[in-house]
Amino acid sequence: MAEDKPLINPSVILREEFDDWAVLFDPDTAEGYALNPVGVLIWKQLDGSRTVDDVVAVVKENCEDVPAEVKDHCREFIADLVKQGLAGYEVAK
Amino acid sequence: MTQPAAGGRNERSRIMRTPKSVDIDITDRCNLRCRYCYFFTSSADVKDLPLAEWLTFFEELNRCAVTAVTLAGGEPFIREDLKEILAGIVRNRMRFSLLSNGTLIKDDIAGTIASTGRCDHVQVSIDGSIPITHDSFRGKGSFYQAVEGIRCLQRHKIPVAVRVTIHRQNVHDLENIAKLLLEDIGLPAFTTNSAGYMGLCQKNTEQVQLNTEDRHLAMTTLLKLVKKYGGRVSASAGPLAEAQGWLEMERARREGGSLPGRGKLVGCGCTFSKLAVRTDGVIVPCNMLSHIELGCINRDSLAEIWQNHPALWKIRERRSIPLSQFDFCKGCAYINSCTGNCPALAYALLGQVDHPSPDACLRKYLEEGGKLPEEVLG
Repeated sequence: MAEDKPLINPSVILREEFDDWAVLFDPDTAEGYALNPVGVLIWKQLDGSRTVDDVVAVVKENCEDVPAEVKDHCREFIADLVKQGLAGYEVAK
Repeated sequence: MTQPAAGGRNERSRIMRTPKSVDIDITDRCNLRCRYCYFFTSSADVKDLPLAEWLTFFEELNRCAVTAVTLAGGEPFIREDLKEILAGIVRNRMRFSLLSNGTLIKDDIAGTIASTGRCDHVQVSIDGSIPITHDSFRGKGSFYQAVEGIRCLQRHKIPVAVRVTIHRQNVHDLENIAKLLLEDIGLPAFTTNSAGYMGLCQKNTEQVQLNTEDRHLAMTTLLKLVKKYGGRVSASAGPLAEAQGWLEMERARREGGSLPGRGKLVGCGCTFSKLAVRTDGVIVPCNMLSHIELGCINRDSLAEIWQNHPALWKIRERRSIPLSQFDFCKGCAYINSCTGNCPALAYALLGQVDHPSPDACLRKYLEEGGKLPEEVLG
């Protein structure tokens, strides 16, 4: 289902800075959101082809000290992105 | 939860990977010839770059995650293809601002700007409360046209940012200008500056630039206006910024101390967040340092210039140059609380970028008979 595969809002800009942190900038609202390096990694997976489980697998593969609640954390993070209009789900045809 | 950091860190890596914003002189043309315009050195017009060049450049800005551009010139509203330029900016995920004399702003283009939802502001220059003051250096009829331009922007709910350039003809009119802008027109705020020794101002210095007495009057009046209107009157350069900065320096001197981070050429941080492009497509550190050519749009990589161009790093690294190494600053009581001020003005006055600017030097101002606004110091 498309609902399982989150997709970034293509209007939103990811500005990666010198310290691996980044800012998501929404040009329509002029709002900026700080992302830590793990957030950046997750953001880059949200291309509409991966489920949250797929994203969690990427996080586990690339990060250290991954907590047991990683799936919940990822779900919350993605839900927050969706709430802010920074990501969404493809509408089923 | 952490992600292993990338290796290879050095001091130069502590800068954004690309500029956050870019100032673009989108045209060399202007319908006015203001006598203190920093841009023009002659009245000759040259041909603008075609639309296609700018649209290609905007695609690179998008790839570089640049979030905003400021369009200036010349007069940006003179470009017949301004709508297409704005569409290119929006298409490439950026916001924009325009710097204008206000005289060419009409409902049609204002409607287009409003419809994008991406305009941070349109800055309009207003230099007087009545036509005779404003028009003295900008040309007959320009006051009413500029005010109508502001009204037009307001009708379309576009944020308006007025800049007042203070000169010898309007220094006595500042209170009326504030009333016009904040009370009669109802703007939320405006900013001030003064005519700097650049462009056409170099030919008209005597008529235009504030003398020591004028500067004192401007500072005193502007501080009163800040007291009356609060943050609705502000400045990052010119008499108000000088008054606020100099009073802080004088307090530091009286207390025998210094101000943190001062005592070096730290007066400009622009090249840590933005770049500029001339009308001919040449990339420069700042549109007031347009003689330092870093490359050309659609030929040279913007990211490569930003990260590695030696001339750009030379400007950034001027922040480590202590003021104590300049004869100009020897024996100055304010040396540990001074920033050295704007490098572009230092270049305009002395031909040197790596030098304090004499224009905003507190010691020089006092030596020439200038006074700080006493009542504020108490």
